[in-house]
Amino acid sequence: MNSIYDSRMLNLVIFSPLLVAALVMFMPKTEKAQIRGVTLLGMLLNLLTCVWAWTRFVPKSPVEFQMEYRLAWIDELGLSYHIGVDGLAMTLVLLTGVLGPLVVLACWTFIDERVKEFHLALLVLQTALLGAVCSLDVLLFYVFFEAMLIPMYLLIGVWGSEERQMAATKFFLYTLVGSLLMLVALLGVYFIAAPAGQRSFDYATLYNGLMSLNREVAACTAAGDCNNISAGAHALYRWGPLMFIAFSIAFAIKVPMFPVHTWLPDAHVQAPVAGSMILAGVMLKMGTFGFWRFAVPLFPGAARQYQLPISILAVIGIVYGALMCLAQKDIKKLIAYSSVSHLGYCMLGMFAFTGEGATGSAYQMLNHGVSTGALFLLFGFLYERRHARLMADYGGIAKVMPIFTAFFLVVTFSSIAVPGTNGFVGEFLVLLGTFKSNLPMVIGVLATTCVILGAAYMLWMVQKVFFGTVTHQENLGLKDLNRREIIAAIPLLALIAIMGLRPQPFLDMLNPSTERFLARAQYASGKTDATTEDSKVRVMVRQLPAKVAVADAAPAQPPMPRFLPTGRLMPAAAALNPTP
Amino acid sequence: MQKLVEFFQTAPVDPQQAGQLLWLIILLPLIGAFVSGVFGKVLGRANTHLVAVGAVFGSFLLSLIVFWTINDYRAMAMTPFGSVNYAVGADFGTWFSAGTFKVTFGLFADHLSGSMLLVITGVGFLIHLYSTEYMSHDDGYWRFFAYLNLFVAAMLTLVLGDSLPLLFVGWEGVGMCSYLLIGFWYTDPAKAYAGRKAFITNRIGDFGFLVGSFIMVLALEAAMKMPADVSSKLGRPGLEGSSVLARLSDGAKQKGPLSVSVLEEGSKVFASLLDDKIPSGPLEGMTFGRVLTIALLLFLLGAAGKSAQIPLYVWLPDAMAGPTPVSALIHAATMVTSGIYLFCRISWLAVLSPTAMATIALIGGATALIAALIAFSQKGLKKVLAYSTVSQLGLMFLGIGAGAFWAAFLHVVTHAFFKACLFLGAGSVMHGNGDEEDITKLGNLRKEMPTTWATFLVATLAITGIFPLSGFFSKDAILHAAHTNSIPQVEWALHVAYVLGVITAGCTAFYMMRMYFVAFEYPRSKEAKTPHAHESSWHMTLPLVVLAVLSVVALVHGLPIMKPEGRNTIQTLMENFLDPVFRTTQENLAKRQFLVIPAEEHVPYGAYIQAWVIAITGGGLAFFLYMRVFPSRAGQPLNPTLDAVRRFSFNKFYVDEVYQLLVIRPIGVVSRVLWRVVDSILIDGVAVRGTAWVTQRTGAVLRYLQTGDAQAYAAIMALGLAGALVWILQRYVP
Repeated sequence: MNSIYDSRMLNLVIFSPLLVAALVMFMPKTEKAQIRGVTLLGMLLNLLTCVWAWTRFVPKSPVEFQMEYRLAWIDELGLSYHIGVDGLAMTLVLLTGVLGPLVVLACWTFIDERVKEFHLALLVLQTALLGAVCSLDVLLFYVFFEAMLIPMYLLIGVWGSEERQMAATKFFLYTLVGSLLMLVALLGVYFIAAPAGQRSFDYATLYNGLMSLNREVAACTAAGDCNNISAGAHALYRWGPLMFIAFSIAFAIKVPMFPVHTWLPDAHVQAPVAGSMILAGVMLKMGTFGFWRFAVPLFPGAARQYQLPISILAVIGIVYGALMCLAQKDIKKLIAYSSVSHLGYCMLGMFAFTGEGATGSAYQMLNHGVSTGALFLLFGFLYERRHARLMADYGGIAKVMPIFTAFFLVVTFSSIAVPGTNGFVGEFLVLLGTFKSNLPMVIGVLATTCVILGAAYMLWMVQKVFFGTVTHQENLGLKDLNRREIIAAIPLLALIAIMGLRPQPFLDMLNPSTERFLARAQYASGKTDATTEDSKVRVMVRQLPAKVAVADAAPAQPPMPRFLPTGRLMPAAAALNPTP
Repeated sequence: MQKLVEFFQTAPVDPQQAGQLLWLIILLPLIGAFVSGVFGKVLGRANTHLVAVGAVFGSFLLSLIVFWTINDYRAMAMTPFGSVNYAVGADFGTWFSAGTFKVTFGLFADHLSGSMLLVITGVGFLIHLYSTEYMSHDDGYWRFFAYLNLFVAAMLTLVLGDSLPLLFVGWEGVGMCSYLLIGFWYTDPAKAYAGRKAFITNRIGDFGFLVGSFIMVLALEAAMKMPADVSSKLGRPGLEGSSVLARLSDGAKQKGPLSVSVLEEGSKVFASLLDDKIPSGPLEGMTFGRVLTIALLLFLLGAAGKSAQIPLYVWLPDAMAGPTPVSALIHAATMVTSGIYLFCRISWLAVLSPTAMATIALIGGATALIAALIAFSQKGLKKVLAYSTVSQLGLMFLGIGAGAFWAAFLHVVTHAFFKACLFLGAGSVMHGNGDEEDITKLGNLRKEMPTTWATFLVATLAITGIFPLSGFFSKDAILHAAHTNSIPQVEWALHVAYVLGVITAGCTAFYMMRMYFVAFEYPRSKEAKTPHAHESSWHMTLPLVVLAVLSVVALVHGLPIMKPEGRNTIQTLMENFLDPVFRTTQENLAKRQFLVIPAEEHVPYGAYIQAWVIAITGGGLAFFLYMRVFPSRAGQPLNPTLDAVRRFSFNKFYVDEVYQLLVIRPIGVVSRVLWRVVDSILIDGVAVRGTAWVTQRTGAVLRYLQTGDAQAYAAIMALGLAGALVWILQRYVP
């Protein structure tokens, strides 16, 4: 750990797409093939860095956030450039890295206008996604979280289908409403978490500050008298639930949960295949990731308090999403609503607050990225050939495109969680976790009914599109997948099998994160013993090196101010490692 | 003789190592599936045949070795609770674990799964061989063999898996292959629909299976957390009561709570705790007995899906849309019996709930009778056989419910032989008659297809239950058990089930003989597609002959010739053979006595004669009606009442239509209404667009305030100032 490479690894992971984007910027507009090639190479390079980071990550290490890197930014506000990954973030980084090159391949011929701008948007989006996952500074997270909206807005609005502008605007406004609420709550947290002078947007400062206040609130709530607590705790007691709700709305829109899901079908339907893939594959995970990283750990008491309503919304999302699928005629819309259903599982598992549920939820995030990403990818190939989205426009495709059909069937089985594919492991764990939790059993039972509904809508769609005889003359001439398309699809198919048969390496990566997540969620409920647990849940991160001017104030730290030519401070890698 | 017995009881390989072979048994057909599916087109027809048939044959040989090994008393499978005799097992590491839950890749073969291994790979091999000829004109041969091999692999996983999740892999895997194979000729929408119907109906069952599994996890964890004062109840010979729960939770940590060995150990604990209330956790307040009943009924739903029982049997008759070898292998011999296999596997749990046992028996009996009644009037060869399968599966469930697990399993085995033979025979008939399957449009097949005829007749007699064919013994064993066993708490259930079973046996004889007479003995129909049928080649007739021989020879298992040492009882070969599997079941039964099974001291000749009379009567009635009455009345119209009854039966009692009306339509309507009303109007229209509209309107109204008229601005400013002044004065000037 902590070689000079490791501490800078994530910078490379996050910004390598942006570097390639800079390169693409200087390329002539007309050289479409070159732009595509360079972008693909850049994405592959990015994938390489992600894989490298994955191999450097030590799941069993007591250090929560690994490959940390921290740089002073705006000291007055307590803002620093601080990145690092835990197990969940690492898996999401890998997922994002894997989808990157596939997205470029998927749109190789589909996008023929404004090719340069398109690929720039893809690369910038990749950086924003990776940045959001890796941020350990909440404001930095917010910046990336917002930054990803812009390229996505463009992807939908510029390269989308007929009603792209409406869909893009809807998507943008919906998400913006949530984000602004989150910003307000964020500022609230900033002021409550630490006294003036020590305030910081750093995740550790916020979490550790709130943790002691949460303990205080939990203790006083248990005692039944909350009048004589510290000012900070009182503020949390008063405003905590509201701030939790603000965070929740922001992330629930992103997930999306019922009833704030209606932007998703429109966005998916109108987005080009690349947009849909990234949207379903990674961007929706920002919502669940936000709950996991911020909403629940920062407000464990409120999360407990609202466990039942959120679980009910999640289970409504699961069943409702599946029922919506049964009513659709448009294939992309069907896949979009199936996302609502699948993400419901993620939320339900998380809010079960059991080991099985939370791990399953995290695993389900990856599964959904792979399976739904693959569904959009494959449907994109069909759409490119026929430019039709309705099921009625197809029929009998199996006869004309056998390889495509085989691929699509495999992904379908993954999506409906047939054991042996990735979907089963996640769904099984989520459902088991829900049954084991303190939630009413009917919630688990209702969620399980979707094994039936899921099969019903997916196989219905498969039959309409692939089986029967060819009903439309123009479908007769459709060509089967070409080599590029097969290469684009194979990695996802392989992941479906690997993650279904050997899920344990991924789960090992996630399990430490799950344990911390659960410990943090339980902690404030006051059930656990304060002295033993405190060190377990506290967020340990690298501190910013003290400046020369205030070096005396922190004599414990060895003097190591290292000025960059610009006057900024460099982190001293080895010395500042948090002691495990 | 003694030497021969010894030879067969000595393992050909080291019994400790045989467990390592198990994964190969699954792997071979999996490789076969991959090669046929991906390279089948390139390899060509003959090579694909070689790969697919060879893979299953290889599995068969390995299964033989395993089966031989588990006859050796030295063969032992290790579990966290000690070793199991007459079994082999191996653990290939963790599949997934999270929280306190864990599943391992553990495989396990005892006498129960060992017998299933032989049936699956043996019958599977014959059917693969048969298919090489049957599918010889189909371009999708590579796809077909890939699916068929994949099915065999999934089915083997189902029987070899030593935990419920791993069993579920096979369970859903066979469902998936069944979906693919029923819809094999996907260009016909009806066939594709039949496949989808099968899968979704199965999924309803899987829902039950999953929820049942989850509840079992909860029950086990609740048992482990029971306060220490129950431990006095838990003691067993050789085991302190206080250490039982600790052992259980150690086992659950090591193998995962849903592992079969942990559940088995758990059942011994549950047997002592049935009336205890669970003090905390999600199941708080329920007794263990009630929890077990709920879980078992959910498993019954799962089994009903897979094994085509009421209310989920509707998919199986439609599944006949698939190629005939598929019907023989999947929808007669193997997959549909997995529900019975499941209950044999967890029989130690089943006997702890009299309610569940009675329900199983009644569901089985009712299914058996209803399916038999529908089979009366069906015209399609495969349709009759399909309903007959549903009916026979019902009898097997009846056996399970009556506590005669071995008899149900014996019927699984014999049924696999004669029903596969019947289906393949039907396939041979269709192959030789231009794909005609309407029995009224065939005729005179006895002369035209002698081999098919002979084997078909043997199998028909076997299913009819004619002495001394195998079907006679297995069916009689079930009915005899339903007659003599009793569930003291719900005494009437088995009485009713027994009556249902006996009527079914008579009906079976009738409709099977009817089909046989009309198709084989009637003169050649004028509507036949081909004037003369042609006999099939050896690829097809060899499996027929082998299966016909097997359906006779399997009678050995039903002979009451075993006398266990030290007991004055008499057992059939199968009962004796499966004895090691049902040890815990008997322990639990001895403890709770929910089911009384009188010991058999003599050969039940009376029951034999009774069963034989029933079969002969049913068959004789068919002979009288179809060979004497109807031919002489040819051309005369049928009595209208009888015709209405016939039509009611022919249309399957309109169950499909009722389901369509009560379940499928409403869900469709609800989903469309929700979409149009809630999603489009309420959320998107009122809430989302409404917000936008309000914002827009507000802006539009506020626009009028910004007139740019300086005088108006000044006036408002003056008014405001005046107001502020008044307010300040009021507030601060007393």
